[in-house]
Amino acid sequence: MDVRSLGKNPRLLLMALLLLAILLPWLPMGGSTNYILRILTTAILYMILAMGLNIVPGFTGLLDLGYVGFYGIGAYTSGLLAIHYDMSLWLILPLAAINGAIWGILLGAPTLRLTGDYFAIVTFGFSELVVLVIRNELWLTRGPMGLPGISPPAIFGHPLTRDWEFYYLILILLLIVLVVVTRLQDSRVGRAWFAIREDETAAQCCGVNLIRYKVTAFAISASIGAMAGAFYAKWFKFIHPDMFKFWESILILCLIVFGGMGSIVGTMLGALILIPLSEVLRAVLPQGLFSARYLIYGLVLVLMMRWRPEGLIPFEWAQARKALLSKERLGL
Amino acid sequence: MVNGITLGGVYALIAVGYTMVYGVIQLINFAHGEIYMLGAFLAYTMVTVFGLPFLAAFVITLLICSCFGIILDFIAYRPLRKAPRLAALITAIGMSIFLQNLALMIWGSQIKAYPRDVLPEIFFQAAWNLGDVTLSWLQVFILLITVISMAILHIVIHRTRIGTAMRAVSQDKTTAALMGIGVNRVISFTFAVGSAMGAMAGILVGLYYNAIFPTMGYIAGIKAFAAAVLGGIGSVPGAMLGGGVLGIAEVMGAGYISSEYRDGISYAVMIAVILFKPSGLIGRPIGEKA
Repeated sequence: MDVRSLGKNPRLLLMALLLLAILLPWLPMGGSTNYILRILTTAILYMILAMGLNIVPGFTGLLDLGYVGFYGIGAYTSGLLAIHYDMSLWLILPLAAINGAIWGILLGAPTLRLTGDYFAIVTFGFSELVVLVIRNELWLTRGPMGLPGISPPAIFGHPLTRDWEFYYLILILLLIVLVVVTRLQDSRVGRAWFAIREDETAAQCCGVNLIRYKVTAFAISASIGAMAGAFYAKWFKFIHPDMFKFWESILILCLIVFGGMGSIVGTMLGALILIPLSEVLRAVLPQGLFSARYLIYGLVLVLMMRWRPEGLIPFEWAQARKALLSKERLGL
Repeated sequence: MVNGITLGGVYALIAVGYTMVYGVIQLINFAHGEIYMLGAFLAYTMVTVFGLPFLAAFVITLLICSCFGIILDFIAYRPLRKAPRLAALITAIGMSIFLQNLALMIWGSQIKAYPRDVLPEIFFQAAWNLGDVTLSWLQVFILLITVISMAILHIVIHRTRIGTAMRAVSQDKTTAALMGIGVNRVISFTFAVGSAMGAMAGILVGLYYNAIFPTMGYIAGIKAFAAAVLGGIGSVPGAMLGGGVLGIAEVMGAGYISSEYRDGISYAVMIAVILFKPSGLIGRPIGEKA
């Protein structure tokens, strides 16, 4: 298995990848640099979303079908704050994250008592209601006309306009989220989540406060989603209710199922493979069939569950490495 | 009000499929809405492309969709019967999206309508006029079919051998298997009946609204699920009651509160029921199953 060689020096590998990511805008790629950067920015955006969603089904074992609701809340928070109050990005990002977390707690506190299936359905209903409210409350969101003219983010008074600037911005966001999620995974909170995922009753018997930890997971997941939405609004400068439909939730779910539910590396890889794939499909498929690209995502979900439910890079990877180390130590 | 009841009848027909499958294998079959959509499209294709008479198309569609339900269970859900429920749920969503986009590829995204001459003209005339309330023969027909098929289903579940087997499996699969019941055969039968009901609803809606499109299954499926939850999941009369209540609530809500939130009313009703009375109106209480 090449897991061993990968596992031997994960830090070195991470550094190499980071270096590649930083140097990327300056590599000679002919005229298509900006195009590639835009695709990569999208892919990284979805990496963040996938990492955020992963906390709920991956870490805690609850199916969340309404993640895009929080993404939409974040995007509209960001767009409205930017248009009406002309706030800077550095204020908007935390505010959007807080707003996402508030909605996550409001939705999570009453519903997380439910069993898995019902919870999935309620989250679905929630995200549909978010879209309906955005579409119909014209005074606030301009409804189906969308929200155009969001000002670009600025750093020290210098507005970001170029593709590589946004690429670096999202890269920084990715690193922040990555550090936060990894630290959470290895913390006491993370261990409580895994205990809940493996066996709720056993976790409760060990003194894990089920509701509190589930709501925490849901709120953190929601705030990451909202933050990604805030970036999206500032990047795309136009948001529309149709951008936050149910399909987006499925797409993000598909990313983590494909990459490996519960595994941070896996979810990132899932986004890095599947998001550019949709660009490839856009180029290959004829115009009319492009809308049917979700066929492939549906198929990915079914096939992965049937033959490789643990995903490309399973979560057990970490444990397997630990087991290996202890075996080596014992001289086996 | 009358529209509400008709709509409710259709929701009830779809909801029965959810309820039966959930009762037997505790799985929310998200792909059920897609079978409803496929039913509408298959009947449409048979009537327009092959020129079959409507009644023949109706019957053949029901048969095909029953087989389809069995195949769906066989290839997608059966291998996962022992897997965690999350896996089966994700598979169900995947199947739903796959089928919906398959339909999109085959039939295109344009809204299609049944030719008007599939039914005798009398269906579009008013059956009764009570003041400003009109009841068309089509509505009577839909309600009649709903009630009859529900009655037959009720008899099948409570009076026949296979129905008894179904109830046994829904209570305890292992014990049922030990008593000599072919559990997989019963599950296949459940999928077949549920899918036939769903397909029937699809055709009726296609006639009623005169519009079929590939994404129709997704919204109707969720609403029917809401109806099933409202009535009490796992209970067939509950599905019928839930469908009726939801249909009326939706039409009334659209009329008196706000037509923009028409779909929102179903979701809100569903969330409220799940939160405050997850066993539904007449369902049996459900335990916390991990």
